[in-house]
Amino acid sequence: MRPTFLAFHTASRALAASQANMDVTGNNIANVNTAGYTRQRVDLNSISSSGYTQKFAVPGASVGYGVEVSQISQIRDPFLDARYRDQASENGKLETILSGLSDLENIFDEASTEGLMHEISKFVNELQTLAQTPAAGDIALITRTAAQKVTQIMNVYAKQVTQVRNQQIFDLSKVVIENEFNTKVKNIADLNAQIRKEQTYGNIPNELMDKRNLLIDELSELANIKVTSHPERISEDLVIERLTISLYDTATGTSIGLVDSELYNTLYLNDDGNSVTVGIASSFGAPDTADITHRFSGGSIRGYLDLINGEGINEFRGTLYYRNSMDILASNFARVLNDLNTIDPADSKPLFAASDGGSITAENIRISDQWLADPSFITTTLDGADGSDNILRMISAIDSEAVFYKDAADVTSEVMFKGSFDQFMSGLIGEVALDVELYQNYADTSINVLSTLFATRESISGVNLDEEGINLMAYQKTYNAAARYFTALDEAVDTIINRMGIVGR
Amino acid sequence: MRITNKMITTQYTRSLNNLSAELNRLNTQVSSGRKFAKASEDTSGAIKAFQIRKDLSKIQGYQDNIAHAKASLTNAESALMHIEELMQDATEKIILGLNGTQSEEERAIIATELRSIQGQLLQTLNSNASDSYYFGGSNTTEKPFEVIDGKLRYNGYDLDLPLPLDTPEANEAMVKALESDSLYMDIGLNVKFDAVTGKVDESTVFGYSLAGISIAGSGTTVVDGVDVSNNLYNLLGSLAEEFESDGYAHDKADALFGHLKDVSRRVMGSITEVGSKTSYLDFMSERLADRTFNLQERQVEVEGVDPAYAIIQFESQKVAYNAALQMGARIIQPSIFDYIV
Repeated sequence: MRPTFLAFHTASRALAASQANMDVTGNNIANVNTAGYTRQRVDLNSISSSGYTQKFAVPGASVGYGVEVSQISQIRDPFLDARYRDQASENGKLETILSGLSDLENIFDEASTEGLMHEISKFVNELQTLAQTPAAGDIALITRTAAQKVTQIMNVYAKQVTQVRNQQIFDLSKVVIENEFNTKVKNIADLNAQIRKEQTYGNIPNELMDKRNLLIDELSELANIKVTSHPERISEDLVIERLTISLYDTATGTSIGLVDSELYNTLYLNDDGNSVTVGIASSFGAPDTADITHRFSGGSIRGYLDLINGEGINEFRGTLYYRNSMDILASNFARVLNDLNTIDPADSKPLFAASDGGSITAENIRISDQWLADPSFITTTLDGADGSDNILRMISAIDSEAVFYKDAADVTSEVMFKGSFDQFMSGLIGEVALDVELYQNYADTSINVLSTLFATRESISGVNLDEEGINLMAYQKTYNAAARYFTALDEAVDTIINRMGIVGR
Repeated sequence: MRITNKMITTQYTRSLNNLSAELNRLNTQVSSGRKFAKASEDTSGAIKAFQIRKDLSKIQGYQDNIAHAKASLTNAESALMHIEELMQDATEKIILGLNGTQSEEERAIIATELRSIQGQLLQTLNSNASDSYYFGGSNTTEKPFEVIDGKLRYNGYDLDLPLPLDTPEANEAMVKALESDSLYMDIGLNVKFDAVTGKVDESTVFGYSLAGISIAGSGTTVVDGVDVSNNLYNLLGSLAEEFESDGYAHDKADALFGHLKDVSRRVMGSITEVGSKTSYLDFMSERLADRTFNLQERQVEVEGVDPAYAIIQFESQKVAYNAALQMGARIIQPSIFDYIV
């Protein structure tokens, strides 16, 4: 037998379901522009009575009891999340490298400005003028000034490379690691705790999960992370997910834990003046060594590490490479001209020296004290009288092939380059320009892939206003229909109570 | 595929940004007239451009050297012309003196005149400009000629006496060295150095100063059984002496005069040498100017932008940009909510 008021409950649940649908639609519309928001959906079940629970079998058709709002869930594809994060970490690395390389290019490039090559050319032309009148003191002074400009621009280059490097170390240490990375892992761990609590009480904290996903997306731009979740059994009939994040190195297949549910590990930077290393302060799952520099294969952290530590030989050409190259250029330039100026090897007459008296680098090269004191300290001739053969020798040495030793003071050291100073410098500019070009292409491709993935993800999880509008109209209609059903039921009951059995009254 | 609002706006923002980046690039090209502002925009072009700039700067140095050499040769030439005039003057005076009708007193006057010409000759041989002597070979700071005890010395060597070396061969070599001693400069002949001695290979440089020894003359010649100086100054001195002397012998003076005429041909020779050097410099300078022109043309090709092409590109890019703006304004606005009543 069907209870009289059974259908009233069906109608009431139908109203509630439509109401819930409209509420969620409203929420979706409201969050159309919210970063990280995942569109929500009301999960509905239809309810039916089961014959199993009744005392006696009641053959016959059984009618369902209507609808039930079971939960409000998110529409999201975890596989796309993983792909998006992989690409975001690749993209983070490339963009960081590209911006660092552009800084370096701005230092050396003389496509539309006048730099070292220009100054060397000017120095050569002043030497030509000196060769015309080798005995003229005023011309000797101008020649020395031209040489001074060459050393000064070398100093400027070296200082700017160091500045770029220091800026990158600062960014990596204070901004990226301390501020962004460490804050994000902590926030993710905090959210893990909150979500776990909510889920334990049986709630579905969609908004918290959105927040966490957004943070994980951001974290993936910083490092090559891998997100996994394991089922965690809370009680007999409650299993919730336990989220872990690790630094995953695809090359070696090893991972280092960063977040495990409510626990998290932070990173710190070591700078020994020559290269920087990344260490990890573990609160769980400590790796074999605290130095995990080489475990970063993606993300902007890797980009910064490449820029800061790249020495360029069989690896990335970073600031160290350009600093060393400038040192090699400066020291060999000084070596070649100092050797030519010295007549008697026992009595060296250096034109260039280091400001601190040590070995010459691009940062400390300057005019020697002797030349500074006397502009005509420059040896014009080996033949006597007022010839200028030695000036011609210097001009020819600057223009023709020279050997660039790794250590200019030691001619048995490794030969880094053979060619003229101009070739060395234009080679260096060519290298940085080609790298910029290459990474620009990489970054362009990568951002394209990333935005395709973003679009794919958006197409699943994003809010479409048309769709919500149609839903809104549809749910309004179902709400009206449910209300009308209620009225019909009401009328039916009214008929039974007030009109039945009154024939002939 | 579902197309959501965020997809449209993100995609739209990106395309607009790409379009304006391209517009900006073209605008910079047109306004700066350069194909690229940074080496990374056209690496091979930039490297070529650096090479061209270096070549241009080198040529500028050579041209500067040539201008300097020409100026100093022009100075030397006018000094030589002056010497030539002096010698003509001297010749006239000597012919007058050799005339048998001249009295002893008149000869003495001519001798005095010859001595004054001697003085002018010395002064002209020591001509200088901006503290640099023309006729000293590679010596530009010290006066190349001086007279000690009435005898002319060149860079310290007595021109009459065999130079103070042991053998005649060594002396000859010394004279040769003095004659070829010159200042030289790089005019783009690809300077080379001897691999062994490290000396400048003189065929790869341009010698532009004249050695006074080859203008004035050196050594002595036997004339009528007497050793006579080969240099203009001393020879004029000997003639003056002869005119003054009490035992004036016409034959002796005539013989000296004959020798002087022989010797003074050197001056003409030097003038011709200067002329040929100058015309060589003109030739080199023209060649370098041609190269400069070619390089500048090449520079424009490598670095410059074709304004017509750039502007057409700019315009077509602008059309694309405007179209994108119009489309965007229409696609973003409406949704079903605009039509729900």
